[in-house]
Amino acid sequence: MKLNRTSFSAAAVLLASVALPGISHATVTVLGWPGGSEETALRATVEAYNAQSGIADADKVELLFFNRDGFFDKLQADMAAGSNAFDVNLVATYSVGRYAPYMEPVDLGADAGKVFGESVLKTMQFDGKQYGVPTDLSLHFMYYRKDLVDALMQDNAAKKKYAEIAKEHLGKDLQPKDPDSWTWDDWAATTLYFSKQVNSESPVRYGTVLQMKNLLFNMMVFQSLPRSYGADWMDKDGNVTVDSDAYRTGLELYKKLYDAGASPKDSLSYEYAETNAAYGAGQAATALQWNAAAADLTNAEKTPAVAAVTGIVAPPAGPNGRADHIHGLGLGLNKNAKNKEGAVKFLKWLATEDAALLYARSRGSPALAPDVAAKVSKERPDLVKLGEFASQYGYVMNGATSANALSIYELQAKEFTGYWAGQQSLEDALAHTKTGMQDLLKK
Amino acid sequence: MAIVNRAEGRAYLTPLVGFLLFFLGFPAAVNLVYSISTVSFETLRSPSLSGFGNYAAVLADREFWGAVSFSMRFGVLTAVAECLIGLFLAVFLTPLLAKRSYLMAPLMLPLMVAPAMIGLMYRLVLHEFAGPVPYYLFEWFGDSPAFLDVENAFRTLLVVEILQWTPFAFLLFYMAYAAIPLEVREAASLDGASALKALWWIELPLMLPTLVIAFFIRFIDGFRVFDNVYALTGSGAGGSTTSLSIYIYQAFFKGGAIGKAVAASVVLFLASLAVLYGLNWITGRGRR
Repeated sequence: MKLNRTSFSAAAVLLASVALPGISHATVTVLGWPGGSEETALRATVEAYNAQSGIADADKVELLFFNRDGFFDKLQADMAAGSNAFDVNLVATYSVGRYAPYMEPVDLGADAGKVFGESVLKTMQFDGKQYGVPTDLSLHFMYYRKDLVDALMQDNAAKKKYAEIAKEHLGKDLQPKDPDSWTWDDWAATTLYFSKQVNSESPVRYGTVLQMKNLLFNMMVFQSLPRSYGADWMDKDGNVTVDSDAYRTGLELYKKLYDAGASPKDSLSYEYAETNAAYGAGQAATALQWNAAAADLTNAEKTPAVAAVTGIVAPPAGPNGRADHIHGLGLGLNKNAKNKEGAVKFLKWLATEDAALLYARSRGSPALAPDVAAKVSKERPDLVKLGEFASQYGYVMNGATSANALSIYELQAKEFTGYWAGQQSLEDALAHTKTGMQDLLKK
Repeated sequence: MAIVNRAEGRAYLTPLVGFLLFFLGFPAAVNLVYSISTVSFETLRSPSLSGFGNYAAVLADREFWGAVSFSMRFGVLTAVAECLIGLFLAVFLTPLLAKRSYLMAPLMLPLMVAPAMIGLMYRLVLHEFAGPVPYYLFEWFGDSPAFLDVENAFRTLLVVEILQWTPFAFLLFYMAYAAIPLEVREAASLDGASALKALWWIELPLMLPTLVIAFFIRFIDGFRVFDNVYALTGSGAGGSTTSLSIYIYQAFFKGGAIGKAVAASVVLFLASLAVLYGLNWITGRGRR
């Protein structure tokens, strides 16, 4: 009996210690973006913050991550329920409007503008108020195989074949070009040339890797194509303009390449990880992918097959020039935070130059002002490209910071993937998207 | 003679009924209120009653019926396949397992893995460049099907579900098959019945209640499938692999249509209840 009682008490203590960790530590809990380079950088930065001598035990930072899949849905449910399980939460440009009612604005101090620049700080603003520290800027790079493109440019027979393929599939007279001056047509012709299904002599199986899974983030990758043809979500008067020629051109080009076998047959189930795996295997000549992948795709230990021969340029150009989707990820203050003072102290520190540089050196992707970025240009050359592309080609669709922006991306994902998979016509896909967007933008 | 009288019976049942009312009845009542209300994340604590508009919206939604169709096909096909394979394994492996019971553990292993993890695992296994299955198909045959493209996704999801849950059906059938009295089999054998005839005319009828229960459990599980389908294909290109559970999840979280999502879940509950009563009637008839 005594043994039973002792065992029971021990089990109760064990359960309590597992289930109620917050009771014993009054800390600042930060809910971060799980997985990938953002988590790695945040862990390293928080470790440095906690190691500082002036930080009281009660203000030390603890990290919390849950699964990336459905992250924003779970976060919304938690915040709407008034959760105080975290003091600082993740926020993104496309979700600022959605989460602002559950957050408090933060004053980051005058120096934050010098570290990040005012335009980058704006990615975390809603109704003119600052809702977060911009920790990572996300945009897209066109990754390509330098060795394959160089070989193509130097081989006259290959150039002839390239021109024949461009004429047959795209109806255009094209010649191979340096990737930094590609239009979307040049890219399409190159991907077709490097696809076994089109050109049996291709040294790789596919010309590109399209991310076509029914997933909102894949829509962000896709939209730079129609955008460079002049696409927008709404015109100046607030009319939804998704049924434009620009969107038609982009959607049709993706379908044409997929149907021709220029991208893996499973592309309709591909997202970030699958794209990295396909390109990293050395069987795809190009990939339009998030900048966050640069650290892995150019790392010889992680991607030995292609790291040394991978080039990076901005997405190709359309008639309206180049366009590169940008959004910021950041950290802001939960309205129901238990330790608001400690949380604000951490956020202000995170907006300092030292913290931003530390974050960058730890594999994060902060958008830094040019003179600050220069201090890490040797370790992180991709951050220089990031700043350059963001300032020259970065865009945000009209309406993409509204409260329902995420739902709009999801609607597009469902309808556009339905068209790419051949389940509905282009006209139906655009009509359904337009109607749905009109409802969502009204709310 | 009754073991306990009515009053004692009620007294014994009171804690269970109280438990069910509190832990199941209360959330069910709240959900019923939500299903006839206009409600959002901001008004979860103050929904306003609005009649049966949510049910009308659900029943008029073509995506809802698409999800019902997917769930129905998925539930029936997986339940039938799992029961048939489980029965086959039970009949043919029982003599072996009687001698080597330790083989039961590896047979049960798929049940130990979380469905979402199974989904992630197969995403890797079937990936054209990272997965071993396409790798060997390319090595041996020079080509590999795209397991998750829009044409093959449904078949792939069926196979993944069947591989994970057949052991459950097998376990039930194994227990039922082993429980058939030895003298029944001996009598059939003495009367000259072949193994196949004994199986068809004696053993299967004796196992019928277990067969029906296994089919019901597997059908309901397949009908409300979520984890591995979502991990493998999301809701599929154009929503092609949207099960009813995924539809409800998307309406609730992604669409913020809480009332509509709850109304759809009430419809799902009522449909499950109808299936339960139907199967209960079949097994009752079998016993009579």
